[in-house]
Amino acid sequence: MTRSCDHYGNQRFTHLRQRKYAGQEVDAVVVGLGAAGGLILRDLAKAGLDVVGIEAGPFWDPASDFASDELHARTLNWQDTRLSTGQNPLRFGHNNSGRGVGGGTVHFTGVFYRFHASDFRTRTLDGVGEDWPITYADLEPYYAKLEEEIKVSGPREFPWGEFNGPYPYPVREPISGNAQVFRRGCEALGIRSAVAPLAILSAPYDGRPPCINRGFCNQGCLPNAKFSTLIQHIPQALADGAEVPSDCMVTRILVGKDGRVSGVEFVHDGRTYKQEAKLVVVSAFVVETPRLLLNSACKQFPDGLANSSGLVGKYIMPHSGHDVFAKFDEEIRLYKGTPVMAVSQDFYETDPSRGFARGYTLNAHGSRPVELAGSLAVNAGMWGKELNDTMREWNYYARITMVGEVLPSLSNYVTLSDEKDEYGMPRALVHFSYGDNDNRLIAHGVETCYQILEAAGGKRAFVIPDTAHLHGGCRMGTDPRRSVVNQYCQSHDIPNLFVCDASVFVTSGGCNPTETVMAIAARTADYITSQKYKGKLQPAALTV
Amino acid sequence: MASHRGLYPGYDVLAHKHEWDANTRQIVEKRLGPFSYKLLSSWEQSMLKAVAGHLTYEDRPEVLAWVAAHFDQELGKAIGESQRQPEVPPQKELVVAGLKALEEWAKLQYQKGFLKLGVQDQFQILRDLQLGQLPMVGKWNETLQRALFKKLVSLAVEAYYSHPWVWSEIGYGGPAYPRGYVRIELGLADPWEAQRGGSSIDAEL
Ligand SMILES: Cc1cc2nc3c(=O)[nH]c(=O)nc-3n(C[C@H](O)[C@H](O)[C@H](O)COP(=O)(O)OP(=O)(O)OC[C@H]3O[C@@H](n4cnc5c(N)ncnc54)[C@H](O)[C@@H]3O)c2cc1C
Ligand code: SF4
Repeated sequence: MTRSCDHYGNQRFTHLRQRKYAGQEVDAVVVGLGAAGGLILRDLAKAGLDVVGIEAGPFWDPASDFASDELHARTLNWQDTRLSTGQNPLRFGHNNSGRGVGGGTVHFTGVFYRFHASDFRTRTLDGVGEDWPITYADLEPYYAKLEEEIKVSGPREFPWGEFNGPYPYPVREPISGNAQVFRRGCEALGIRSAVAPLAILSAPYDGRPPCINRGFCNQGCLPNAKFSTLIQHIPQALADGAEVPSDCMVTRILVGKDGRVSGVEFVHDGRTYKQEAKLVVVSAFVVETPRLLLNSACKQFPDGLANSSGLVGKYIMPHSGHDVFAKFDEEIRLYKGTPVMAVSQDFYETDPSRGFARGYTLNAHGSRPVELAGSLAVNAGMWGKELNDTMREWNYYARITMVGEVLPSLSNYVTLSDEKDEYGMPRALVHFSYGDNDNRLIAHGVETCYQILEAAGGKRAFVIPDTAHLHGGCRMGTDPRRSVVNQYCQSHDIPNLFVCDASVFVTSGGCNPTETVMAIAARTADYITSQKYKGKLQPAALTV
Repeated sequence: MASHRGLYPGYDVLAHKHEWDANTRQIVEKRLGPFSYKLLSSWEQSMLKAVAGHLTYEDRPEVLAWVAAHFDQELGKAIGESQRQPEVPPQKELVVAGLKALEEWAKLQYQKGFLKLGVQDQFQILRDLQLGQLPMVGKWNETLQRALFKKLVSLAVEAYYSHPWVWSEIGYGGPAYPRGYVRIELGLADPWEAQRGGSSIDAEL
């Protein structure tokens, strides 16, 4: 039996001279092979379409490319410079952007949540943000399928939202010291907590072992215990005939005389190539997707593709991701175990008495020295003796990280700057400032974290302001004047152009987003391969 | 290892390097030197060692040599720096010009080069730089001063906390593959982990 994770030997992309689909028009080309793109590629290939997935970064082999080291793991990040501005300029790279086959899933933490039903209707329920064109019920079957195929481990009973367990694979046991402290504090205050649902194996599956608690999820999982698009969806796509050129940066989406897209242009080793396709799916994440659409401006679409609303690049949202620390008399040892093993969503839904709309998730979150000292220095301004003293006792600190909803705002955006990158593409300029609601939510979240840590026996130490995840920039909607794509991620303006990744999010939700990114991608793939999609694409495989 | 300065005397992560995967072992061992520099002049290296010494509160030359070597590698990379404010120059330009500016500030305020200053005066310049409060020389306004400080502290700190001697001192287990951890709960430690006061479970067993 071939196992999904065994593909590297012969399938890894080696040279553009050995291309399968060079000079041919394929059914679909997918730009970017992260959480969304990798899944769409797999599903289209499975349906019999001829597909090419083009990825800017390398095709990783965990065994030789990953290491148990924070500095080395930088290679997994999108390090190309973005210009970042606003009152709260975002940090990219490790913080939110992956580069290479697998995208952000290669270095994500594996916390795997469904959105709540309320997330899709914040305008109706709370008078903030915007309603999505889809509801929880639309994604529910996809959530269930994903959890099953990924073998998500989690508790028998999950107390929040619409899905309350059980998860397909057994709950993680034991949990780390930091997670224990979190649960102890929650219990003392009457706050419900649970062991985290994780896209990390708690028992063997498909030739992959269960997690060995080394704690390096954000550096890439060496034993392949953690799900990533790289080790699951891409091998499946390859097995069904997809081609995956890597180290190929797509710089332009091509438009034909008929006003439809006809393929893409990409650069490999300084040379430009073309891939023609009947359909293009852009899955390049929240900064690169708008950048590519805007950079593809042409005579027919002078303001960029899919941009008749003027909203390409607008309404981007991170999560507020403040890290709250307390010091204990006992050693916690933040570096051990899967980083997130205990969580609470007791503060997820709007509670008018708190003075702000929407809410947040709390994740008991491990850490490592470079990350902790680096964010203390850069985000909290601590250095010299104070930093050295703190780090010397770092084993005595516990940490809770909040994942706070950030409301969409027109003044938070990605656009093109005047500066060019190595491909001659304008660098992205990203502007972000928190709004009032966001700041009130953060203040509440930080205080809750401190109370939990105190109830567990800790002393308040410090807060490191941070953000996590990114969403928006090409939001979905029913009204072409107020959104970029429809409920199936099909552009309102160009029927054979799809945009499908975290950029289609209408609101950010208050929890880690990737299960929702993937559920939307699976729904999009279903639509593309169904009879409902009456675009130019008519693959023989679907009509026989 | 040279003098041990932490809560875990006697703990040395490098003693366990045979347990690490070969790739990781190679990456970590390179941090022990010897180093070759491609970009930085010897004056720039000395300046960075002095500055990084303050930022990380460290004076061992071996460790600071690695920190300076890390600057050399990072500033020489074409790949990018993840993000930058639009009004701030790319990191190589920022740091190289920034070291010259530090020299100018030192001369302006103390009539001596930065490296000739006493520890207190050097420290004070960095403190003012962090707050963007040094006098404006050339184009060095508050924004650029703060950006320079952040770049220096960020590169210095990430290198410092990647040095295996420092891991030993703070009681960090370091690389953990293929071994992983078995005892992750409160109060428990695997036999090879750092133990407070230098006593190790190994010794007790
Ligand atoms: C440190 C960290 C921890 C995280 N932890 C969690 C977690 O625990 N739980 C959770 O739910 N989420 C987590 N996330 C978020 C998660 O990684 C993202 O939500 C997810 O990866 C987004 O999927 P995507 O498909 O939109 O984009 P990505 O996965 O980022 O994929 C985009 C891909 O497109 C490629 N690309 C971009 N531009 C081009 C181009 N022009 N040409 C070709 N290719 C291109 C990129 O290289 C990349 O591979 C974490 C993220 C980080 C960084
Ligand atoms: S903690 Fe587990 S899932 Fe995370 S990297 Fe280590 S083995 Fe992989």
